[in-house]
Amino acid sequence: MRRQFKDTALRIAKNDEKLVFLFGDISVFLFNEFRELYPDRLLNVGICENTLISMAAGLSATGFYPVVHTIAPFVTERSYEQVKLDICYNRFGCTIVTCGGSFDYAWDGATHHCYTDLELMRMLPGMEVMQPGSKNEFDILFSECYKNGNPSYIRIAADEHGFNFPVALGKGVIIKETPGAKVTIVTAGPLLGNVVDATNDLPVNVLYYHTLKPFDTSLINRYSKSNIIVVHDAYGLFEAVNAACAVKVTYHGLPDAFCCFYGTLNDIRSKIDLDASGIRKKIISALT
Amino acid sequence: MDEISRKIRKDILYISHRSGHGHIPTCFSIIEMIRAVYETMRHDPQRPDWEERDIFILSKGHGALGLYCTLSHYGYFPISDVFTFGAFESNFGCHADRFKIPGVELSTGSLGHGVGVAVGMAQGFKLSGRTRKVFVLIGDGESNEGTVWEATMVAANLKLDNLTILFDNNCSQSRCLPITNPEAKFAAFGCNVLTVNGHDLSALKTAILSPAEGEPKTIVANTVKGKGCRTLENNTFEWHRRSPNAEELKMLLGEVNETSI
Repeated sequence: MRRQFKDTALRIAKNDEKLVFLFGDISVFLFNEFRELYPDRLLNVGICENTLISMAAGLSATGFYPVVHTIAPFVTERSYEQVKLDICYNRFGCTIVTCGGSFDYAWDGATHHCYTDLELMRMLPGMEVMQPGSKNEFDILFSECYKNGNPSYIRIAADEHGFNFPVALGKGVIIKETPGAKVTIVTAGPLLGNVVDATNDLPVNVLYYHTLKPFDTSLINRYSKSNIIVVHDAYGLFEAVNAACAVKVTYHGLPDAFCCFYGTLNDIRSKIDLDASGIRKKIISALT
Repeated sequence: MDEISRKIRKDILYISHRSGHGHIPTCFSIIEMIRAVYETMRHDPQRPDWEERDIFILSKGHGALGLYCTLSHYGYFPISDVFTFGAFESNFGCHADRFKIPGVELSTGSLGHGVGVAVGMAQGFKLSGRTRKVFVLIGDGESNEGTVWEATMVAANLKLDNLTILFDNNCSQSRCLPITNPEAKFAAFGCNVLTVNGHDLSALKTAILSPAEGEPKTIVANTVKGKGCRTLENNTFEWHRRSPNAEELKMLLGEVNETSI
């Protein structure tokens, strides 16, 4: 998906000279071609996330469409006040594109885990929040939001869910619908792959959200009489669903603990029952 | 102190007395600095969104009342508007809102944000080949924030000679974390540093207009918190965020009238 970020940037920059990138010293090699073609429009500013965000506000004030790119925890958790005030309160359009969300850097330990980003960004007035689960989703969502004047947050994932369906910013997707189903599973991002594996033969509905804000409340409300289970390896989706419908929603996801197990993304998902078998166990217990 | 600076200080006192709000000593510290910027930079009070204007950011946002009274002097709005300062649904909050006040370019309040945004603006003007300039006023207390130094380092690395940092050196942070020798610090971070008396309008304007090439400029303005009222100058911590009652107002106005700079 990170390569798609580069491809999308190249495609748009060709026709839009207002698109500029501020990097926090990551993905620089990946963007070599971009830097050769547009040396002034990709600044590898430094390892200084607060300044990356503040600078983006300033560039927006002067008519550019800035995109800040660095690792999720450092720009959302460390620089939260810059995002809140310089971008959102001052209403300067900016797109923040991160990698390393949830446990994508499992092996690096808790300093590099980030499961709060989506919810932190969701709480900020005016912010659009996206967690694409495929290259196609990233391409469409980025293209829709980068110059719409709103602050936007897009989390790039290390893995993909492997499905293709029509994508539009702010629209949820029905993955599976079972007539009379008592249980509706709601998920976002690449975890959809595990959810589909877990529910292939189960009589449930499955809804998918690549956009957590603006949230497609009309879609979730169509299923409000069923038992809704949010399956997600981050915060944000559960809160969005709860805010959208007046029903009891349960959450199957993160423990109230740091997940310091190292290994891979899938190792951690297995450990906290977010692999297909862990998800399946949770759903079967809800069905019985 | 010329009559304009005296008038602005008196406006601040009247409005603080009326509203019960405002950081008077910090406002008195920065009046000449703001005036020097507005008397040298490109701006048009009749067209606050003029596309060729230079930019001024008051990063130490708690000096908003000083900014309002100075902007009013230069014709952005009548001073009578500012008498609603801090009131419910007034446009004139205790920290400025860029959507409510003509001439305000950035809504500030939390310290340490202005330099970073100014760096982005200065870079934007460079990228688009424009000659517009950016001025950002910060405090010595504000410079306890690491973001000030992070952004200054980036400004120097990007050779932003269209950026001027005005450092209000009123030693307000002497009781906990003083910024000692700010000239050396900003020079070490890559700035062209000038030092002036921050209440000398002419010296400030000369410093602002001095040529800069290849590096951001920092003007260390040596100022006195509460300048113009000996009661404020001698009791800065007590008066940091205090408004005068009727009797105190009379006393402070008298001190402003007597003071010459």
